[in-house]
Amino acid sequence: MTRSTERIDAEPTERTPTAVSQPRLGIIGWGRWAWRQLTSMRTALFLLLLLALAAVPGSLFPQRTADPNGVVQYFKENPGLAPILDKFQVFDAYTSFWFSSIYLLLFLSLIGCVLPRTVHHLRAIRTAPPRTPARLSRMPGFIALDLNDDGKATGSAVTAPDAIAAARSLLRRRGYRVAVFEGAQTKDSTELSVSAERGYLREAGNLVFHIALLGILITVGIGGGFGYNGNRVVVEGQTMINTLAAYDSFNPGRFFTDAELSPYSIRLDKLAVTYETQNKDARGLPTDYTATVTARTQDSRNGYKTTIKVNEPLNIGGTNVYLLGNGYAPHITVRDPRGHVVFSDFVPFLPQDSNLTSLGVVKVPDGLQQQIGMMGFFYPTKAVAQNGAFYSSYPDVKAPMLTLNVYSGDLGLNGGVPRSVYTLDTSRLKQLTGVSTGVKSIELAPGYSQQLPDGLGSVSLDGVSRFASFQVNHDPAQGWVLLFTVCAFGGLLTSLFVPRRRLWVKAIGQASGPLRLEYAGLARGDDPQLETVVETLAQNHIEALRNRDPGASDGRHPEEDTRRTT
Amino acid sequence: MFARNDRDAQAGRLRARVRARVVLAVSTALLLSLGLAGCTNDALAQQYRDGSSKNYVAGDGSITEITVKNRGKPIRFSADLEDGTPITSSAYTGRVVVVNFWYAGCPPCRAEAPDLEKTYTAFSSQGVRFLGVNVRDQAATARSFASEFGITYPSVLDVDRGTMQLAFSGVVAPNAVPTTIVLDRNGRVAARVLGKIPDASVLEALITTVLKEPSQ
Repeated sequence: MTRSTERIDAEPTERTPTAVSQPRLGIIGWGRWAWRQLTSMRTALFLLLLLALAAVPGSLFPQRTADPNGVVQYFKENPGLAPILDKFQVFDAYTSFWFSSIYLLLFLSLIGCVLPRTVHHLRAIRTAPPRTPARLSRMPGFIALDLNDDGKATGSAVTAPDAIAAARSLLRRRGYRVAVFEGAQTKDSTELSVSAERGYLREAGNLVFHIALLGILITVGIGGGFGYNGNRVVVEGQTMINTLAAYDSFNPGRFFTDAELSPYSIRLDKLAVTYETQNKDARGLPTDYTATVTARTQDSRNGYKTTIKVNEPLNIGGTNVYLLGNGYAPHITVRDPRGHVVFSDFVPFLPQDSNLTSLGVVKVPDGLQQQIGMMGFFYPTKAVAQNGAFYSSYPDVKAPMLTLNVYSGDLGLNGGVPRSVYTLDTSRLKQLTGVSTGVKSIELAPGYSQQLPDGLGSVSLDGVSRFASFQVNHDPAQGWVLLFTVCAFGGLLTSLFVPRRRLWVKAIGQASGPLRLEYAGLARGDDPQLETVVETLAQNHIEALRNRDPGASDGRHPEEDTRRTT
Repeated sequence: MFARNDRDAQAGRLRARVRARVVLAVSTALLLSLGLAGCTNDALAQQYRDGSSKNYVAGDGSITEITVKNRGKPIRFSADLEDGTPITSSAYTGRVVVVNFWYAGCPPCRAEAPDLEKTYTAFSSQGVRFLGVNVRDQAATARSFASEFGITYPSVLDVDRGTMQLAFSGVVAPNAVPTTIVLDRNGRVAARVLGKIPDASVLEALITTVLKEPSQ
């Protein structure tokens, strides 16, 4: 962020001869003082730094908007500290009062800086370059030389108006804005000068940068307000629909309404995962995930096939559908003692490590004497550790094994109270298998079946499918954010690389003696090239004067024309 | 004298400029704080922020009734029942239909099941049809649920094809599990309850209203 040096920050204050102390400030005075402090460069930089600092807690602590389960976990692990942190809105860092205040002040500071500068710049664009200084010799890059008669191609002598007209067209061709001024006229000398300025784009670029920054802030806010994102786990062969009811979890923006959900469905036909098999060091690392899906909108009769990859979302109905995660969903069937199927489903098991040892919960609420819950692990490639424990040694399904501990009793589903599908509330359940009971846990390979304890029935593993976890993202302001980002970048580059400078050429015609030419410049902002530019200008000007065709003067300057005719 | 006037005019301009800035600043602050602060009370957002991993979007029991002239287009669908029988919306033309979106593992669905069955028995003689749409389960699980709660109306298994959910999505969509939708005789959405129906009498009242409408 840079601010123009020409911004006048202090209005001249009236001074009475007796007043020694500072001028007294009224309410408006103090307000003006506060406003000036807020909109000063120093404050803006400080606020920007503070904003970066205030964003740190957001990455140190789990955030409710991004990771609600993490927050629940944090409360469990730190029961003393968490409520205090919560008072300070640490789990909602980006909408907290302290973050918002910094953000708002920065916003105001930006507006307060940009608006007056825009007005000032618009005025500057419309005014001509300022009058040539009386003594150019005090300016940087000053060059003075006398134009001698030698080397002239033609017979006519170069007059001051000729020289200035040539300088004027030379500067204009280089993109300078020019104005011709008449200097002091005495008996034996006439003085004429051209004042030129370039680089208005530098300030314009700077303003565009600041305004685009504001634009990004506003559009990101609006986009977040009207957007939404939702997550859904879909097993191969199943379909998700873009309605609220179909989501596992859904995070709406502030101004979200149901009507924003455009109706479409996505069926996961297959999730193909490729693993590294050659490189010994990276064996088992996934190299590619490809979800083959059939997408269908409400008005179309048939769907179309397409793929979703990790960083290649599917764009449908104004949303982007991302492939976020994957895992296994064993197909588990439970039969009652008479052999009737009472439960059959693909149950997603959540991966716990890179070899996809997965943890899952199966709830069978209906059809048996008692409700049963089963909690266990799925190992895509079973291996046995030295202590006898199972683990998975490879993420692909090579030697799958499902282990389950069985509980019976009340699953807590009938009270109408929401329960996590990934945990088993064992408070009203009796454990039937596992270490503490003395009954061996159930171990199943695909195609095998085993009896449940207490003659409850049997359970079988019928197969293993993969599941994909999709995130659906809707951000209506995305295009605008991109536009403003491009503008900000363009503006910044322009303001960095366009030099802003003034150049002057003065011609002093002396009654006795040669024509005296003076050149000088003034940098506005950093301009290491200034002296070279003045030198080049002088050279080119002299060359132009020497090669000049006396008849073809492009004297557009009325003064010059009148002089010529008289 | 001239200088004095000039200074006054300058001061006036300055004051006007300051006032304009203050107005601008205050209005911007208001606008932003509205946008930033008023964001934690929404029930839908709260469900997400709770992080309960209950894996469905719950309804708040809110009821929407749509007057005859404001109703949308008739809903067309075709799907398969639990036992594999294909059904289409045309089979229901001329009847009031109650469509309930559910699955076995969803606690509020279990809680409202007896009320639904009771209402179904009470209204079936008046030609009202009930149709369940199971959004998550396979056939066996759905059948066990039906026998557990003595449900006698059929259900569509929608987890694999999703045709029912897609047909009903749009303006008055099933936006929670469970959702209960009442279709009028022309197959248009006449009422919707998001979440567990508060009471059997509420559903009865909704059905009665639609039944009383003259058939067109």
